[in-house]
Amino acid sequence: MERQNPWLSFFVHLCALLLALFLLTPILWMLIMSVSTTNDLTTIPLRWMPRHIDFHRYVELLTVAENSAGEAFLASMRNSLAVATMATLGALLVAIPGAWSVSRSPGRQRLALYAVVATYMLPPVALVVPLYFALAALGALNSVFSLAVVYLSILAPFTTWLLKSSFDNIPQEIELAAMIDGARLDQIWRRITLPLAGPALATGGLFAFLLAWDEFFYALLFTADQRAKTLPVAIADLAGGRVSDYGLIATAGVLAAVPPVLIGFFLQKSLIAGLTTGGVKG
Amino acid sequence: MATLTLQGIKKRYGPVETLKGIDLDLEDGEFLVLLGSSGCGKSTLLNIIAGLIEPSDGDVLIDGQSIVRVHPKNRNIAMVFQSYALYPNMTVARNLGFGLEMRGVAKADRQRAIEKVAAVLQIDHLLDRKPAALSGGQRQRVAIGRAMVRDPKVFLFDEPLSNLDAKLRVEMRTELKKLHQRLGTTIVYVTHDQIEAMTLASRIAIMRDGVVQQFAAPQEIYERPANLYVAEFIGSPGMNFIHGELRRQDGRIGILSKTGAAGASFLPLAAANLAAADAAIEARIDRPVILGIRPETVTLANSSTAAAPHLASFEAQVEVLEPTGADTLGTLRLGADQVTARLRPGDLQQAGGTARFAADMSRASLFDPETGLRIS
Ligand SMILES: Nc1ncnc2c1ncn2[C@@H]1O[C@H](COP(=O)(O)OP(=O)(O)OP(=O)(O)O)[C@@H](O)[C@H]1O
Ligand SMILES: [Mg+2]
Repeated sequence: MERQNPWLSFFVHLCALLLALFLLTPILWMLIMSVSTTNDLTTIPLRWMPRHIDFHRYVELLTVAENSAGEAFLASMRNSLAVATMATLGALLVAIPGAWSVSRSPGRQRLALYAVVATYMLPPVALVVPLYFALAALGALNSVFSLAVVYLSILAPFTTWLLKSSFDNIPQEIELAAMIDGARLDQIWRRITLPLAGPALATGGLFAFLLAWDEFFYALLFTADQRAKTLPVAIADLAGGRVSDYGLIATAGVLAAVPPVLIGFFLQKSLIAGLTTGGVKG
Repeated sequence: MATLTLQGIKKRYGPVETLKGIDLDLEDGEFLVLLGSSGCGKSTLLNIIAGLIEPSDGDVLIDGQSIVRVHPKNRNIAMVFQSYALYPNMTVARNLGFGLEMRGVAKADRQRAIEKVAAVLQIDHLLDRKPAALSGGQRQRVAIGRAMVRDPKVFLFDEPLSNLDAKLRVEMRTELKKLHQRLGTTIVYVTHDQIEAMTLASRIAIMRDGVVQQFAAPQEIYERPANLYVAEFIGSPGMNFIHGELRRQDGRIGILSKTGAAGASFLPLAAANLAAADAAIEARIDRPVILGIRPETVTLANSSTAAAPHLASFEAQVEVLEPTGADTLGTLRLGADQVTARLRPGDLQQAGGTARFAADMSRASLFDPETGLRIS
């Protein structure tokens, strides 16, 4: 270990602290808002620390009653889970074979991937009108499934790209060795390639899920009611009423963060890279 | 147990022809060593046999049947890669057993085979480790073991010993030889180490720029190299080349060396050489030739060597003496050329003077300087 200048070390720690503060403050504020009473949130000057801890909004959002905020919220949570899960699984299903073939084929075939990724550069606004008309013509507006398909078209290029670079890092000789050992392609994938690409699969899946989970623009335009509205849209609805309860919005935000955080927590172990070392000469 | 035949194998990468028509024919149980310097196409040829690369032209036959259309997994070949190519996500035991598992061998049988191979390769204490936790030499042994557990028709080895330290290398070499003697499986083995080639091979194919220079038994290659490239490549210290002209003097045909500081010497050819290629030699009289003599065929001249007809004696200046223990390498000056002689320790006390030496011309080679090909 290099000997460190104490000032440099102080500076590094200061920067880390500032960054943490910058990232965590909004989240902390959201948590505080979600448990403050409405009075505390509307007094001027603002009360930063709530006088009572108040959980009634959580109860409100998590109970189902006819025409309540809870009913709308839970429905949108269910829709979001369905859309994000379908889109993510679909994206991985498309990306794994796609990325593998691009990674294992030489030169010119790779252009195909670049072309596909280029569509990713288009702003959503450019696509939304044609997509809207297409979905309308198919009678597929306001449907969880068609929203998932739209997301899939966004997620697939990006996950393919991510997986391709991960497959590139797996020496092809390892797969060839397995082939000579008598493994079929599906066995090679199952036993060797996919386990080795595990961290990338987890990262790709998580990012795809988050992207679908957070997406607002398409969801706003393509969904109309509780049958298909996703969380971002539902949360926006909370803000759109005549009287906005900011605490309720914050609570919805906290609850909306729970599934991705849980998924990230369980994927943590596979996100650790470095699995491919040791197979071939250094 | 299988014969292996390569017929006119060519491989082109764009405009570059990496393999330029390789023909080799192996009998059942042969140990072929592909020997050549880096980039000559050894791995490419091995990969073509394995089916990992498709040849641009030519045919590969196992037991007389063409396999170029057969998928690698169905060729029943085991291969050790130059880069090991272990499965990083599996333990050593799983790595070793993978080929058996894919072929549906029962777990108990698999276990037994793994343990047997691990014992032979001295990796039985590593069975539960992952490849990342192994040293280079241990990885290499796992890679060899992975091929050994199966009972393939042909073994392919791509420089399997190149990463081992000198001691382990010799041990593994012996182990491979034993393995071959025990199993009798046909082996194709790539290396650029000539000692490995000489010790292991039943036949060696020396390659250069995608062309086989010579395909013969090790001793044959050593004694009768087909051209200057092979002569230079095999042997350590290498063969001595004496540049000169073929002359007829006093009724004998021999090489007159170029004149150097020590003058010129006339080395008469042995009868054995003359008989072999009389017409070819006659045609070259008074034209330049290169004489190749191995260091161990040069000895100090004495009263008994003078009488032997196959020994050509010459006077040379002794420039350097290098004792290696078992023998002493002497660097001599003969005409314009430098000659290394493998002498007995104590033959000469010190460098600097001149002495008479005798070269065994029955074991000498004669090359055409223009084509580099062997004349006799
Ligand atoms: N995919 C490829 N495209 C173009 N040229 C290639 C390709 N693969 C190999 N070559 C060329 O073919 C030649 C032979 O390569 P090969 O790997 O067979 O050499 P080698 O004899 O095994 O060498 P080494 O002892 O270094 O392993 C090299 O000049 C190499 O650059
Ligand atoms: Mg090679």
